[in-house]
Amino acid sequence: MVGSKNRKLTRFFLIAGVLLFFYAPIASLMIFSFNDSRSLTSWAGFSTQWYTALFANREMMSAIYVTLVVALLSTFISTVVGTLTAIGISKSRKIIRELIINVNSFPILNPEIVTAIGLMLLFSSLSIEKGMITMLVAHIIFSTPYVILTVLPKLRGLDPDIAEAAMDLGATPAQALWKVIIPLIMPGVISGALLAFTMSFDDFVISYFVSGNGVKNISILVYTMSKRINPTINALSTILVVIITFVLLIVNLLPILKKKELRGAE
Amino acid sequence: MKKIGFSILLLSLMLTGCQTSKPTLKVFSWGAYIDNTVIEKFEKEYDCVVIYDMFESNESMYTKLLSGEKYDVLVPSDYMVQRLIDEDALQALDYTKLTNASGIISGLLNREFDPTNTYSIPYFWGNVGLIYNTTIVDQSDLSQGWNILRDTTYKGQIYVYDSERDVFMVALKALGYSTNTTNISQIDKAYDWLEVLDKTMDPVYSTDDVIDNMIQGNKAIAMVYSGDAAYITAENPDMAYYVPLQGTNFWVDSMVISIDAKEVDLAHEWINTMLDPEVAKLNSVFVGYSSPIQTVFDDLKETDFYGLSAYTPRLDYPNDEVFKYNEDIKRIISDLWVKVKAN
Amino acid sequence: MRVFGNLVKPYMVWMSLFIVIPMLLIVLYAFTTHGNSVMAFQFTFDNFGKFFDPVFIKVMLKSIQVALITTGVCIVIGYPIAYVIANVDERWQTLLMLLVTIPMWINMLVRTYAWISILSDSGLINTFLKSINIGPLKMMYTDFAVVLGMVYNFLPFMILSIYTSLAKMDKAVINASYDLGANTRQTFMKITLPLSMPGVISGVTLVFLPAVSTFIIPKFLGGGQYMLIGNLIENQFITVGEWNFGSAISLIMAMIIMLSMYMTRKMDKDIVQEAQGGNKW
Repeated sequence: MVGSKNRKLTRFFLIAGVLLFFYAPIASLMIFSFNDSRSLTSWAGFSTQWYTALFANREMMSAIYVTLVVALLSTFISTVVGTLTAIGISKSRKIIRELIINVNSFPILNPEIVTAIGLMLLFSSLSIEKGMITMLVAHIIFSTPYVILTVLPKLRGLDPDIAEAAMDLGATPAQALWKVIIPLIMPGVISGALLAFTMSFDDFVISYFVSGNGVKNISILVYTMSKRINPTINALSTILVVIITFVLLIVNLLPILKKKELRGAE
Repeated sequence: MKKIGFSILLLSLMLTGCQTSKPTLKVFSWGAYIDNTVIEKFEKEYDCVVIYDMFESNESMYTKLLSGEKYDVLVPSDYMVQRLIDEDALQALDYTKLTNASGIISGLLNREFDPTNTYSIPYFWGNVGLIYNTTIVDQSDLSQGWNILRDTTYKGQIYVYDSERDVFMVALKALGYSTNTTNISQIDKAYDWLEVLDKTMDPVYSTDDVIDNMIQGNKAIAMVYSGDAAYITAENPDMAYYVPLQGTNFWVDSMVISIDAKEVDLAHEWINTMLDPEVAKLNSVFVGYSSPIQTVFDDLKETDFYGLSAYTPRLDYPNDEVFKYNEDIKRIISDLWVKVKAN
Repeated sequence: MRVFGNLVKPYMVWMSLFIVIPMLLIVLYAFTTHGNSVMAFQFTFDNFGKFFDPVFIKVMLKSIQVALITTGVCIVIGYPIAYVIANVDERWQTLLMLLVTIPMWINMLVRTYAWISILSDSGLINTFLKSINIGPLKMMYTDFAVVLGMVYNFLPFMILSIYTSLAKMDKAVINASYDLGANTRQTFMKITLPLSMPGVISGVTLVFLPAVSTFIIPKFLGGGQYMLIGNLIENQFITVGEWNFGSAISLIMAMIIMLSMYMTRKMDKDIVQEAQGGNKW
């Protein structure tokens, strides 16, 4: 039917249009990272000079290091603390539960800049020297609520008596926790961890206000370098895009591939 | 589980214990104000680590210091040096350690903000002016001086530097007042002058991004520092630099050592290295700003920066002024500038 | 079971120190003066009074306006996209949603920075236009550039929200509607749209909140003269050093946001109640 074909065509163009909108700037960023000249608008030939420059640039390598270390540590800590707290919340009295969930939502509902200045005022009034530690603390602060929010629904889906049953059978609370509850909520924990990692890796606003003494993460570096035309930023961005796309594709397509494998095995 | 715990411990150690053995020098200076190889060479020569942090304006530098960050060497502008001296935030320089200090252009020393140069020593110097596209701007319009920034022929074609003191300097000079005036009604008139500019000229307030934008010729006129103009005119021959006869701000950025600096000797080594003619030449060529070392300045103005008037700002022009610091006026100007921008 | 309850204690301590106290500090600074050192404060309403200047009110209003426009554009573009994706073959849905959400994970600064070289007067678009002899289009430093930047950054959130609620919808309800004789338009207007409202509302929350408080996008694409409330706060804290005034502005902004969240949540309840109530069988 012609009507249906028209509709299919419109749908196709609609989606293609949006995808083009999303990826064109990223593509231009990536293309010009290989430009032989310092321009971001006129192509002068292929070159990997900006990548060489990137790896030779101390400031950039240091920023990458800071970003990774802070992301990994904050993810680990916030995931552990968040998961354990979520378990605790699910087993607490209503009053405590409500209190924690409400306060927990402040960093989520507040605009980032408000959380950021609050922390800046805190560190400043306590005369705590800003640097990597303060950045780490800040990242844990804004990541943990998200972990809690991701894990809690999974806990709600659990049988409320399962831990008690395990302890009746002789398990210690720690064993019940480690061998029963956590394995059951693992998908939630992993989602929470992924969320925490991405939020930390990408963070700008909060890191900008709470770090100092020369400590920068990738976002802060891009912010300070963006005033001048510098294709090394493009090189860095390209690497980030490639890594993130790769990770996301794997995380999302792996379960599908596993399903296919199972189906094939039947 | 143990493996994870171990790697976490390792990471935490990496976090904290990385650079404990070598002395660390902390320098706080303007963005793109040094040739990066200089930093690496210094680190190798003195077997230390240099944390080189950057700020966009004197004001944001001061605010960072206020929030508790500590540095050994700072590179503030004249009026900020004055403020820091007034607030006992600096320590006196030990000239026995600054063997290269004799090479400085004498006209830059003994300025009002630090008459005996007890606390500060020049790093770069210059003035503020207009960079314009010779193929678009009519030469005769330049005679308007700073008022060309309100000439509606160039509406939407101007960059104004986002720096409260410099902007108010332009307005005050355009109105014929002193840039260090404490007369509130003059300041209010300057505010009105800027308001009109903001409303009728569709200006873009920029900082360092003006440099590459003007090299690309994205707009016709920009208010810039002489050093940036030297860089721009070197890269784009269509551009030229003009300093209004109404007068402008003559500035000197100086190196100072904070009173609670941890590495005082190393700080002196750093300053002395910056004053070394070879290093000063590298910096001046890379950044484009006028070198304070006489021999370097004389050399570069005939070679790399030959024919670029921005490299040789006029010294001792009667209408040019150095900024002075005044706490109350600073507050007022600060607030007024935010209002101009917010409009 | 009480033993597990103890797990929350460390976090409660942590929360009080790092979530509650910073909030209290902002309130403290907002109501005091000369307070860059906590010791030397004096209580005052001056900081709030300073904000009630037509210039700053205009900044607040402009921020809300830009955020509303951005949210509107995101709904107008986002809903059709989410609807189309939700209705294609299931195999394609995961892939398409993946493609839509990947940009979300890429650093916001990098994504915004990318637009500068595209929109600038000698940027990619203008270079192309010049080659076909059209004069340069002024795009940088305009409302257009800022809204574009915001939509670009926040659209994936809207699409994701709406898609989630569309995908969760019980297909049986829709089929029942067709079976009862309704055509596509009627089904959409009376069933799909109302039931997807929670997704739209949550999308609005995810877009409006960051849009009203961001300072990076206006700074990169709007220039120093494009001051939104986020820029004002950043300016007061980082450049000017007036933390008291900055805190007051933050409180005002937080209040306004809380108010709008409350209103959207009420709207959400009303709409969903109506939709559910209207579908009584």
